Amino acid sequence: MLQKKICMLGSFAVGKTSLVRRFVESIYSDVYQTTVGVKVDKKNVQVNGTDLTLVLWDIYGEDDYQKMHWTYLRGASGYLLVADGTRKATIDKAFSLEQRVREEVGVIPFVFVINKCDLSQDWEVDSALQAQLTEKNWNLLRSSAKTGEGVEEAFALLTRKILG
Amino acid sequence: MGSTPKHSREPLEFRPKPPDASASGSAPEPEEPPREGDDVQAYRELRELILAPEQEAIERLHQRVDNPASRTEDVGSVVAEAIQLRRRQGGDEDLSSALSPTIETALRESVRKDPGTLADALFPVMGPAIRRSILETLRAFLESFNQVLDQSLSMKGLKWRIEALRTGRSFTEVALLHSLIFRVEQVFLIHKKTGLSLGHAVAPSVAMQDPSLVSGMLSAIQDFVRDSFHTVQGQGLNRMNVGDLDVWIEEGPYAILACVIRGVAPRPLRDRMAEVVENIHRDYSEQLDHFAGDSAPFAKVNSELGRCLELRYKEEAQPRGFGFVYAIAAILSLVVAGWLAWHTMQYRRWERLVNAFREQPGFVITSFGRQGGHFVVRGLHDPLAADPEKIISASDVKRADGEFHWGGYYALDDPIVQQRAISLLSPPPTVTLAVKNGVLQVSGAARAAWVKELQAKAQLVPGIRSLQLSPELDPERLAFSQAKSEIEITLVKFPLASASLLPSEQGALHRLAEEAQALLKAADALHENVTFEVLGHTDSTGPEVSNQNLSQRRAERVVQELSQLGVPERSLSPRGVGTSEPLRKEDSEANRQYNRCVNIHITSVTH
Repeated sequence: MLQKKICMLGSFAVGKTSLVRRFVESIYSDVYQTTVGVKVDKKNVQVNGTDLTLVLWDIYGEDDYQKMHWTYLRGASGYLLVADGTRKATIDKAFSLEQRVREEVGVIPFVFVINKCDLSQDWEVDSALQAQLTEKNWNLLRSSAKTGEGVEEAFALLTRKILG
Repeated sequence: MGSTPKHSREPLEFRPKPPDASASGSAPEPEEPPREGDDVQAYRELRELILAPEQEAIERLHQRVDNPASRTEDVGSVVAEAIQLRRRQGGDEDLSSALSPTIETALRESVRKDPGTLADALFPVMGPAIRRSILETLRAFLESFNQVLDQSLSMKGLKWRIEALRTGRSFTEVALLHSLIFRVEQVFLIHKKTGLSLGHAVAPSVAMQDPSLVSGMLSAIQDFVRDSFHTVQGQGLNRMNVGDLDVWIEEGPYAILACVIRGVAPRPLRDRMAEVVENIHRDYSEQLDHFAGDSAPFAKVNSELGRCLELRYKEEAQPRGFGFVYAIAAILSLVVAGWLAWHTMQYRRWERLVNAFREQPGFVITSFGRQGGHFVVRGLHDPLAADPEKIISASDVKRADGEFHWGGYYALDDPIVQQRAISLLSPPPTVTLAVKNGVLQVSGAARAAWVKELQAKAQLVPGIRSLQLSPELDPERLAFSQAKSEIEITLVKFPLASASLLPSEQGALHRLAEEAQALLKAADALHENVTFEVLGHTDSTGPEVSNQNLSQRRAERVVQELSQLGVPERSLSPRGVGTSEPLRKEDSEANRQYNRCVNIHITSVTH
């Protein structure tokens, strides 16, 4: 059985937990996130005929009250970088998080997910930001934890990237 | 610039070719001796001319190769890169085996020369390692010490002590062998870096959790603890305890072993865990180092993990005698419970008796307790109170089970005080005495003299604070009525048909005067106006008119006499009634004589 450690990264309240909640096997309460700073869930996927277990480390988004434990990223094969389309600041935060990951653990595969696409009319993604995103040439997906849109795709895409 | 050296090198590279165009087609050796002297000379010159720089270079190379110092210099400048290249090419083992004897010798030599250098270098590593080892040893010692302490005082402990004596083993050993009942329920092998599960073994009929999730969360918690409390590298959480569940964690360089234990596990389990971790690191070091999520190479690791599940101390071979022990324990507890119940019941009985004494007037209980299986009651007893022995015999206690020590005292309880008053004041039967809140209430009929004595003595009776007499026992009233009845029963007798006083009546007259004065004095205190109606009587012989006259004179004679004896005249009212109010029926001479008299009737009006 192939297992991979995947981290969920992003600002506080961008919907990381909601994003995975419907798609993962979980035995732990969300309380762990605020206490220990991480909650471990599991997702089984099949990519190109390979069965794979993604062990998801849903890391608490840094806020004024709690710092992120960067040690939780150690040994990760990839990560989902999540931002909230309705809050531009979270996208900026995603940029800085990606840079920080590179410094902390090196270059590892990731997929950038802009969540809350069900509220796309409220998105703060302007053309300048769009250009910035295009320039970065990141794997970008739009998702909605509410409708489930883009979630499976995000995991599948990340898995393919990890498997190379 | 670049082309010049190329040209100059060309002749060297084509050295085998004949330098001379006139040379024959077959390639002659450069060192071939020339046939003629000039030619030889010319050839040499030419050769020197052409080959001189190369020769010098060759010479320099020779010198460099032959000179160890310059060779060392050359090798020194590339040795690090060479080793790195070798590692990249995957020749680690050869390199290691080639180097290890040298390194070992070097280390030995270094220690021989100056052990301090190596000790200094290793100090940061050795310190924590030694500390950890000492800590572990102490902890293990404390664990077994605690367990032994827990058990040593129980019945089981006694049994083990006998077994230890019988077998010659130490008590600790025997206790450990028997007491520790625990079970390793699950064993997780976790890759340290990724937190991914490498293997998982579970005891039969244990509800198992998803190993990937548990492994992830366990290593997250490990990280969390390390991060939060900044522990020294290599030291982490090695035990978690929740109620009956213990999680023991043993860390290796690449993997973590976690055992979920129910019950109290002994130290040897920790040794076993360390052994398993070591074995896994020995057998899978390569795979652990290069682990990228594929757990297939660790398929066989579960059997090794299973060794942690195996370890479990033998429970009692057979619960033989268990029922017997229980039966004895049950009987013992029944006996103890029975004894306790009997004891309590007895105590309650004595307590009831003591309370009865407390409620009884004339008793004060100062102490009550049990001394050497005997109940002892101490207190005070008023002699006038009830007989304590009667109270004891009326209760349900056994007299022989206790002893009583009474001291005397005057009780102030009303019933006792009342009794005391009766015995000390000896009231006449016509008088009723009662005590209420220390007040002696006296009612009934009594003589003034006794009342006087009562007034003097009542307050001397312990417990009597004041005296309350009923109105009829008021001394003034009493004196009044006494004098009144004394006066009213006194007759002053007269001889037949005369109003002259007989000398024999002087006593009666003096008594009357005395009583009248006493009565007036009492009447004054009672605010009463008194009139002494002095009634003169005659017998029925003789004519009525003369009798009326005679009776009037007799009355006036007594008034005169009393007045002279000090009774105020204004209070005396003489009246002759003749024969109209005879004192006795005149059916005999004696009665007729009786009627020849004066008596006094007293009327009083309150003013």
